[in-house]
Amino acid sequence: MARVLVADDASFMRQMIREIVEAEGHEVVGEASDGDEAVEEWKRLQPDVVTMDIVMPRRSGIDAVKGIMDIDSTACVVMCSALGQETLVQEALQAGARDFIVKPFKPDSVIATLNKVLEKKED
Amino acid sequence: MDLAKYRTIFIEESTEHFAEISQALLELEKDPARVESIDVVFRMAHSIKGMAASLDYDSITELAHKLEDRMQLVRGAGALDSGDEISLLFRGLAALEAMVGAVRETGEAPPADPDLVAALAARTTPLPAPKKKRAEPVSGRAGDAPAPRLEVPRPPPTVRVNTRTLDRFLSTVGEVILNTSQVRTVSQSGASPNNALAEGLDRMDRVVGELQRRALELRTTPLLRILEPLPRAARDVAEQAGVRVEVQLRGAELELDRSILDRLSDPLVHLLRNAVDHGIEPPEERISAGKPAVGRIVIEARREKDTIRLSVCDDGAGIDLEAVRRRAAEAGVVHPDLAADLTGEQIAALVFEPGLSTATSVSEISGRGVGMDAVRSTLESLGGSVEIATERGRGTTTTLVVPITAAVQRVLMLGVGAETVAIPIAKVERIEECPTERIERSGSDAFALIDGDLVPVLDLAARIAQPSAAPGRTTHLVLTEVRGERVALSAERVAGQQQIYVKPLPELLRGARALSGLTILGDGRPMFLLDPNQIA
Repeated sequence: MARVLVADDASFMRQMIREIVEAEGHEVVGEASDGDEAVEEWKRLQPDVVTMDIVMPRRSGIDAVKGIMDIDSTACVVMCSALGQETLVQEALQAGARDFIVKPFKPDSVIATLNKVLEKKED
Repeated sequence: MDLAKYRTIFIEESTEHFAEISQALLELEKDPARVESIDVVFRMAHSIKGMAASLDYDSITELAHKLEDRMQLVRGAGALDSGDEISLLFRGLAALEAMVGAVRETGEAPPADPDLVAALAARTTPLPAPKKKRAEPVSGRAGDAPAPRLEVPRPPPTVRVNTRTLDRFLSTVGEVILNTSQVRTVSQSGASPNNALAEGLDRMDRVVGELQRRALELRTTPLLRILEPLPRAARDVAEQAGVRVEVQLRGAELELDRSILDRLSDPLVHLLRNAVDHGIEPPEERISAGKPAVGRIVIEARREKDTIRLSVCDDGAGIDLEAVRRRAAEAGVVHPDLAADLTGEQIAALVFEPGLSTATSVSEISGRGVGMDAVRSTLESLGGSVEIATERGRGTTTTLVVPITAAVQRVLMLGVGAETVAIPIAKVERIEECPTERIERSGSDAFALIDGDLVPVLDLAARIAQPSAAPGRTTHLVLTEVRGERVALSAERVAGQQQIYVKPLPELLRGARALSGLTILGDGRPMFLLDPNQIA
């Protein structure tokens, strides 16, 4: 079981991810609705993995990844992207994100991606 | 996955987004290069797209995607195109709202308008943005320095509560208040007064009073909720009417009981339509009158004692009082001889009479259902009123005056036969004891001479079909105002004043228009609250 932080400005998406990861037996330890909050919550909660939306107010998901990486370069962040955001995903991966999931979320692929990055983290 | 749950969240969240997009577009209309506003529209469209895609609403996904792409291009260009781009974005917003509205009604998303989708997609590749063309020092925007991050104070965390839950809660608090006063009545009826019990009840009253205040606060909602859509509504009307207008909101943070708030929305929209459609002149006309081409409408909320005054103030042409005077005489609203003697103020008040439209032509925009008379009766049923002030060439201000809370009212209790009834104290001008012989009768009408004027007297007992007690030597006349006219209600007894918690009428009694609510007295009997406007 992993401790997950969900960062997305839409409560719709947060709820959806929560439902998907909880059904798999993981625990959602916190939610953030913008990039600033994501970094703050990461510091406070030290989750095993963060799902990070790209487009968020105040501070984008990409900037938040950079902020988290500055604190802990081994942090495990998975980007949530939409079709058409390939360049941004690329940028996030370069900044240190481990992988990405694509909206609209398919529960199976979300879980597969999370499990994959969590396994790698164990190594 | 529970689709119904996500559909509800989708509708709620998109509706909030629409309000933000609308606000941002209005800002962009004033400043087409406002980066924050461009970002907001982009982000909101993106978010709506993501939600719609998750629920397989393909048409909404497509339209939101086109809007998002369009905003991406605007971002690249640094500003909106002059001209029709803003109108196109407003059309995109309206279409999305309609589609989400359809989801709310039917659960299905209707197809997107292909012309609109094509138009949104048709922006030519942006020219490279003219470098810092808007770097006026006036606005304090620094040349090439990175834009400072916008510091927005984060509101405290909130929870969404179903309004029905809230009403049940408030109703329970009401029951507690009623029970307390019943216990007090019982405690005072015993042979020997129990001081400890009385003190305990006093303390309890204070705590319950506090609980009631807090509970009522829960029901209050900022006016912003009904004011926010108005600037955009004004814009739409202005476009149809061929005028230009800018709307300013003031005091939108003031809070009002939700039940009142909801009923103010239609009257406000009507006043605003009137202001845009009949008030604001076409740009050429304004310029030749020495006014700025763009008309100005200020919607302002102010608190005054226990009321909130909501005014819609335009700088347009003002009402043609002579035309109203003529029309009122023609329509038989006032006698032609009398019409000539009315003051400007009295003439202006005539626009609230049924069947009196001041428009020179019944236009498509203003000629919809509700008229000014509907505005007035809505306000009166809320225990409020409407005021109007106008000056030819300078503009018109219409003010809705509304009480702050509906549920708790101070009332005057009147004994009528075996019954006690209450009327809101705010409606009472004063009470006068009057020897019955001073009441003059002519047929079924009765009048009393008060302050030198003949005032109609309404016998409360007769009105509520209570057998009058044997006619006494004196009666109490309660002076009140009904639609601007002084009226005296005659009652046998005045039973004092009290703060009461007004409960809505039970279903069975809803048809009785003269009753606006009821409360349970200390001894368990119901007391009805009368609406003076409906008795006369």
